[in-house]
Amino acid sequence: MEYTGGMENVGFGLGLRHEHYEEILAAPGKVEWFEALSENYMIAGGMPLYWLDTFRRDYPMALHGVSLSIGSIDPLDEDYLKDLATLIDRVEPMWVSDHLCFTGLRGINLHDLLPLPYTEEALDHVAERVMRVQDRLRRRLVLENVSSYVTYAASELTEWEFIAQLCQRADCEMLLDVNNIYVSAFNHEFDPKDFLRGIPRERVRQFHLAGHTNNGTHIVDTHDHPIVGGVWDLYAEAVRLFPGVPTMIERDANIPPYGELLAELDVARGIAERVMRAPAHEAAE
Amino acid sequence: MTRSNAGSLADLQRAFQDYVLASQPAFTAQVRDTSKADRITLLNVYREGYALRLIEVLESDFPGVRAMASPEDFDHAARAYIAAHPSRHPSVRWFGKAFADFLAAAAPYDETPAAAEMARFEWALGEAFDSVDVEPLRAEAVMTVPPEAWETIAFAPLPSLRRLAFTHDVPPSWQRREEVEPGALGVAALGTTVPWMIWRPERMSNFRSLEADEAVMLDAMVEGRPFPALCEALLPHVGEDQAAARAAGLLRSWVEEGLIASFSH
Repeated sequence: MEYTGGMENVGFGLGLRHEHYEEILAAPGKVEWFEALSENYMIAGGMPLYWLDTFRRDYPMALHGVSLSIGSIDPLDEDYLKDLATLIDRVEPMWVSDHLCFTGLRGINLHDLLPLPYTEEALDHVAERVMRVQDRLRRRLVLENVSSYVTYAASELTEWEFIAQLCQRADCEMLLDVNNIYVSAFNHEFDPKDFLRGIPRERVRQFHLAGHTNNGTHIVDTHDHPIVGGVWDLYAEAVRLFPGVPTMIERDANIPPYGELLAELDVARGIAERVMRAPAHEAAE
Repeated sequence: MTRSNAGSLADLQRAFQDYVLASQPAFTAQVRDTSKADRITLLNVYREGYALRLIEVLESDFPGVRAMASPEDFDHAARAYIAAHPSRHPSVRWFGKAFADFLAAAAPYDETPAAAEMARFEWALGEAFDSVDVEPLRAEAVMTVPPEAWETIAFAPLPSLRRLAFTHDVPPSWQRREEVEPGALGVAALGTTVPWMIWRPERMSNFRSLEADEAVMLDAMVEGRPFPALCEALLPHVGEDQAAARAAGLLRSWVEEGLIASFSH
């Protein structure tokens, strides 16, 4: 079944984190939208849902999950999908995203985003599951490219070829995590701009930005630092190629005050504005 | 590369998970070195990350246990728990569910029963924190019950109610968890078993100890027994002539504390 949805540019957002609840209340309207982590709110009641409802009244929201495990060889977790559908009814999100990865098998959740081998077999497997999830949730699924640290000997396609074919076959959309492209490009020694150029423009629903930890030999996607210059440069290129895509910053550890993240979000606004104002010939360079 | 080099998707996922959980080395043949890093270094990002992430979850969910144990002891207990109880839930919210039982049963942690009691208390606090929201029964609603209905009336507690029993001074010690260095929180043995309850009448959780007869009556109420049976449950503790008055008094205080959700008769 086909699910359509407008690609509205809702602007710039942040991840909703409990450390910021009071500061958000004290400084309303500083972001255009929030991204809430689905699993944090797949609970029966209490304060977390109270806060979620409070902020949802004032801001559009996207839901972002970490445990769909769309690439796992385990059967889809029907209980998880039921709880997610219940949360979707509550939040009425702009879109629902998760990661292009697997998080475990045999019923075990490693709570990590393990990369898939980029093979025809994996593509068949994931495309079929994406279509089933979309039918269950009655909406297009938005899938994020993950940071990865290992390169499989088995891979037959590049990551961007895999993603482009998946979007086409399953009619799903992409959450392009610019930091993850940067991290994976460093770790797997490819040109991150090749990645961007390989993604079909009409499939990009959202951008993520985040900080990471550079160990010299490899980079780990830790979300605990400010965004680095190389990621900002790549973001400018992403905005050039995919204009008008909503952007948000993820911070999950070493969380600074809300104001610091708002300032970092202003950097993103500035880059997007500059790129969009640039003459067409410059943008095409 | 050719497909003949490729293991199936299922084989690859099994091998990767076995590497993360149990250091099965076979998987290393399926990944490549890069010009900057060898494959073992890269695979260890996943293996070490797995343990560190879950240790952090336990630290966050069990600050009282963390205050009782030295950092080394907590790390040791956490890693042993992670090995014995891999997560089977989509959310890390539920990862610590069996931590109290694990500390109570596994050597050498079973030698410190106060730690298991602390873990049980902290887990119950978490359960009350995000349980189903139900508005507590108001005192006026009980006033309207006709006298004849008291023969069959049964009360239901809030879904957040948790009944606990401690042989150590757990909740008062827990309240000092942030005032001490890790490992320095002492939890004294009481020499007896004291019943406690946790409940969340609105958005904030409450907890308090119970009198022995109150605990017995509360347990009978939770079982759904009617009011005359609640009075009967008190008999080992109070005289027959005082049972109804004591039961009515306890019930009134529970309603006032926002512990009761509903009644039927």
